[in-house]
Amino acid sequence: MSILSKLEETLVCLKAGRVTLSYPAEAKPLPEKFRGRPIFDASKCTGCAGCANNCPAREILVYDVCQEIRILKYIGLRCTYCGRCADLCPEKAITMSQEFENGTDKIGDIQQRLELFMSTCQRCGRCFKEPSVLEQLKMKGYRFDDLQNERWIFRSQARLEGDAVVDDVKIELD
Amino acid sequence: MWKNLCQKMFGRSLWVYHANSGGCNGCDIEVLNSLTPYYDVERFGIKLVGSPRHADVMLCQGPAMRSTAQALKRAYDAMPAPKLVFAIGSCACGGGVWFDSYSVIGPVEKIIPVSYYVPGCPPRPEAIIYGVAVALGLVDKKTAPVQCKEPELPIPRYHPGELRGQGELVVYEKAEKV
Amino acid sequence: MIGMIAGGLLNVGLVLLVAPLAQGVLRKITARIQSRQGPPLLQPYFDLLKLLGKEDIESGEVPGMQRFAAYLSLATVLTVACLVPMGLSAPMNGAGDIILLIYLLTFCGICTLLAGLAAGSTYSLVGISREMMSMIALEPLFVIALVVGAVHTGSFRLNTVLQGSVYSAGSSFPWSGLIMLGVMLLSFQAFVQRVPFDISEAETELMEGPLIEYSGPKLALFKYAQMAKLIVYSALFVTLFVPWGAGLAFPAGWLFFWLKLSGLVLLVTVVAATHARYRIDQALRFFAGLLGVALVALILASYGH
Repeated sequence: MSILSKLEETLVCLKAGRVTLSYPAEAKPLPEKFRGRPIFDASKCTGCAGCANNCPAREILVYDVCQEIRILKYIGLRCTYCGRCADLCPEKAITMSQEFENGTDKIGDIQQRLELFMSTCQRCGRCFKEPSVLEQLKMKGYRFDDLQNERWIFRSQARLEGDAVVDDVKIELD
Repeated sequence: MWKNLCQKMFGRSLWVYHANSGGCNGCDIEVLNSLTPYYDVERFGIKLVGSPRHADVMLCQGPAMRSTAQALKRAYDAMPAPKLVFAIGSCACGGGVWFDSYSVIGPVEKIIPVSYYVPGCPPRPEAIIYGVAVALGLVDKKTAPVQCKEPELPIPRYHPGELRGQGELVVYEKAEKV
Repeated sequence: MIGMIAGGLLNVGLVLLVAPLAQGVLRKITARIQSRQGPPLLQPYFDLLKLLGKEDIESGEVPGMQRFAAYLSLATVLTVACLVPMGLSAPMNGAGDIILLIYLLTFCGICTLLAGLAAGSTYSLVGISREMMSMIALEPLFVIALVVGAVHTGSFRLNTVLQGSVYSAGSSFPWSGLIMLGVMLLSFQAFVQRVPFDISEAETELMEGPLIEYSGPKLALFKYAQMAKLIVYSALFVTLFVPWGAGLAFPAGWLFFWLKLSGLVLLVTVVAATHARYRIDQALRFFAGLLGVALVALILASYGH
C-alpha cells in the first residue's frame, strides 16, 4: 500500500466536502407513502373495532361503557406503524400521518383515546354488532379490555370481572 | 463552582453504550446509521464507547428477554451516576409485537428505569436524533395525549314523526330522554 | 533556582493546556477527511470536565492499584514534560540524562499494564498482554535513537543529546541520523497510541482493553495522559530530529517550534484517518524489521558515520 494511494484516498474524501445533514435545523423530505404515527379521527369513527381486532401488537383496546358508548384507546407503546388499522377501517377514519418525531420522556404522551357514541340502527335502535348468530354466541356480554392497566383480554376466556388470563412472568435476578 | 461546570458539561458530551437485549437488530442498524457521516451525531459530542463504565447513556433495543434480563441489569448497575436510559424502538418501549411471547418479559422498563422513549419500528435516524435532542433540551417534544369525548349524556332522541314546522323554526314536540 | 522550577512548571502548564486542543483538532480533521462535520474543536475539554463530574466506582480485583495506576500515568507524562525543551532552552538547567528519560517513558507504559492488572477481567488481561508485546518491540527503537545521539556527542546529558545530535556525525554524511529519522517516522504512531498501532487501548475489539473498569475522574486522568503523550512525544521528536531553526531569538524560535509540532500532529492525524488498525502479529513483524534497521544505524554510528 503506497503513500500515494493513501493520499489519493484523502483527496477523494475531501472533495466530497461535508455531507452531513444538519438535522434538527433542516430535514430531508420524506417519501410519499411514509407511515408515521396513526391519527384517529373521532368524527368519522363508527366504533366497529375492526382496527382493534386486527392490530398485530394488540395496541388498540376497546371498552363498552353501556349499550351505545364505546371507548377506544390507542396506547402507542408497542405500535409498529404497520398500517393495518388504516387499511381496514371502512370509514377511513385512521390516517398514517408522516410524523415520526415521537421521542418523549413519558410514554403516556402517545396515547389517543376516543369515546364514541355508536351508530345505531334506524329501525331497531340497537348498535351494530356481529352479523351472524354464531359470532354473537361467542361474545359473552360486552367487549371490554382492561383500560386501567392497559391490558388486552383474551376474548374466549374472558369474564365480566376483568381478570387477566395471562399472569406476568416472574424472573429471579441475583 | 467546579461541580456546576461539570454538571453543565454533561449535556455537551454524552458517551453512549449500546445494549441489545434480544431485538431483531433493525433498531441497531438505525442507531449505527446515525453515527455515519450523513446523520453524523458526533457533532453533538456523542461518542460510542465499548464499556458501560465509561458511558453516560445506555441505548436499549429489543424487549427484555428472560435470557438477557440479568445481563441488562448488570450493565445498568455498572454505569456511573448520573445516567440516562433511552429505549429505542417499539420493542424496548412496550414489548413490540412479541409482548406476550413465552420468552419475553416485556418492555425494558420492567427491569431498568427508562428516561426517554423513541418509538418506531425501526425509528428513523432522524427520530433517534430528535429523541436525543429532546433529552438535551434543544427542541420541544411534539407529542401529547389526545382525547376525544362525545357530548354529555343524556342525549335526547328525536323521531322524525315528531317534527313540526313553526314558521322558520323546526320544533320537536316530544323529546324522549335516553 | 526559581527560574529552573518556573521553566519546568511552564512546560507542564503548556502541555496541560494544549493537549486537549490537539486532540480536538485531530478529531475534527479526521471527521473532515471522512466527509462529515465533526465535534466542536473544544470537545475534549468538555469530555474531561464531564468525566470529572461522574461518580467514581472502584471495582476490579485490586482497587488500590487502580487508583495508583491512574495517578501515576498522568504524573509520569508531566514529569517528562518538565525535562523536554519546548521551544525555549532546556528547563531545569538541562538536568537529567537520557536514562532518566527512557525510564520515565517506559513507566508510562507500565502504568497501563498496572491498570489492566488491577481490573482483572479477561478483556483487560488480553489488552495488557498485547501492550506488553508491543512495548518490548517499541521501546528499543526510541532507545537506539537516543543512543545514536549520545554516541555522536559522547555524553548522556539531556541538553546535549536533545539538540539534534543525531546529525552531528563528525565530518561525514549523517547516515545514521537519517536512518533513525526514517525509523522513528514509521513507528511514531505507535508511541502516541494512534491507528494503525493502537492495539492495546481504545479499541472496540477489546472493549477498551486495560481501561475497561475505569469510570469518572480516573478515566479522565488516563485520557488526559493519552492526550499529553501526543504533545510530549512530538516535542521529543522535534527536538531530536528537526532541530533546524531552534537557535533563533525568543519569539521566533518559540513560535517556529510550535509550528513544527503542529505539522507533526497533522501528519499523525492524516495517517490515523486513512489507515486501518494492524493486528498484533503484523505489528510485531513490522517493528522487528524496523529494529533490524535501527541496529544497522547504531553500528554505523559507532563507526563515526
